[in-house]
Amino acid sequence: MRRQAYGAFTAGLAAFVASSTAMAKEGSGGMPQLDYHSFAPQLVWLAIAFLGLYFVMSRLAIPAISDTIEMRQGKIQGDLDAAEKANEDTRGLVAAYEKRLADTREEARKLMRERGEADSAAAAARLQAVHDKLAAQIGEAEKRIAAQRDDVMRGLEHMAADIGQDVYAKLAGQPADQAALAAKIATAAPETRGGGSR
Amino acid sequence: MHSPMEQFEIKRLLHLNLFGIDASFTNSSTWMIIAVILATAVFVWGMRQRALVPGRLQSVAELGYEFVAGMVRDNVGDGGKKYFPFILTLFIFILFCNVLGMVPYSFTPTSHIVVTFAMAAFVFIGVTIIGFARHGMHFLSLFVPKGVPFALLLLLVPIEIISYFIRPFSLSIRLFANMLAGHTMLKVFGGFVVMLGIIGGWAPLAFIVVFTGLELLIAFLQAYVFAILTCLYLNDAVHLH
Repeated sequence: MRRQAYGAFTAGLAAFVASSTAMAKEGSGGMPQLDYHSFAPQLVWLAIAFLGLYFVMSRLAIPAISDTIEMRQGKIQGDLDAAEKANEDTRGLVAAYEKRLADTREEARKLMRERGEADSAAAAARLQAVHDKLAAQIGEAEKRIAAQRDDVMRGLEHMAADIGQDVYAKLAGQPADQAALAAKIATAAPETRGGGSR
Repeated sequence: MHSPMEQFEIKRLLHLNLFGIDASFTNSSTWMIIAVILATAVFVWGMRQRALVPGRLQSVAELGYEFVAGMVRDNVGDGGKKYFPFILTLFIFILFCNVLGMVPYSFTPTSHIVVTFAMAAFVFIGVTIIGFARHGMHFLSLFVPKGVPFALLLLLVPIEIISYFIRPFSLSIRLFANMLAGHTMLKVFGGFVVMLGIIGGWAPLAFIVVFTGLELLIAFLQAYVFAILTCLYLNDAVHLH
């Protein structure tokens, strides 16, 4: 950039030199920049303009702009903070929801387990009742069987006594002693009678 | 045909005398005042709404503010906040003078060495006073580069001192010469357009169109360079390198 500017400057100077002869003919006094008579008014008005602009800038423009930028920063920061807070709140809500959901799920599982236990307990009770009923029926039946067997055994004893009497009468040629024979038969077959009662 | 230098002539529009000093209102004064009024329009009238979402003019004002504020922050740092209004005024004043100078038939106050030198000298003197006020005699260590052998210092210290005192000249001549050269070039090529007429004048005319764009860039760039060099000089005075 500087080289370019210097290039432009040399070109300008060349043009200036070229034109200075023409100027000499017109009778004007070379570069206006070197006319020291014009220095004072330029400096006076430079001071006035610069001080005026400095006053405008430092008293009016800079406070207005810095206030505006600060206000904008504050607004942006406030909005960001609000958004951050809303985000945080939402995260809290989501966490609460998740916890609530987990709790509910746990509760449901517990309820189901309890319900299952209750069901199986009832079933077991019903089963037990059936068992008991069956056992009672079985017991009854056994008792009946045992009674019938006793009847049968008593019949057999009679039969055995009759047969024994007949056999004794045939062998000994005289009637047997009734009481003695009955006792003998009773001792001969105790297990037959007892086993049925079980 | 007019001379290319005629555009730089100071014309007294209103003869004024202030305590024996010639304070005439000239064409240069006119454009300085127009620059101040336009800058005020952008920065005060443009900011009148102080809108949260800026309009066009407010955006321009805020852009200029942020641009210079960033420049001061980056180049001077914490100590520079006090001088921000001055740097902003300097940048805006030079920018508006330079850009308004591109308006046909206008005048460019910054194309006069006396104007640019007054500003550069003000910066130079101000910076020197700030340096001595902040660091006392220690400010002179600015001329002694650190970590250099003594033998080299004998050479370097005079160079540093010369380069320090050359600052106001380089600062003022850079701006003045850029403005002078650009406007002279435009005038010369404008003369070529007239000389070559309807047949051959199109080539210099096309050049003028392109060069006008470049000149607008230079108008901004030179204001920027002036402001940023002021920041760097301030930085030297505030922080001693």
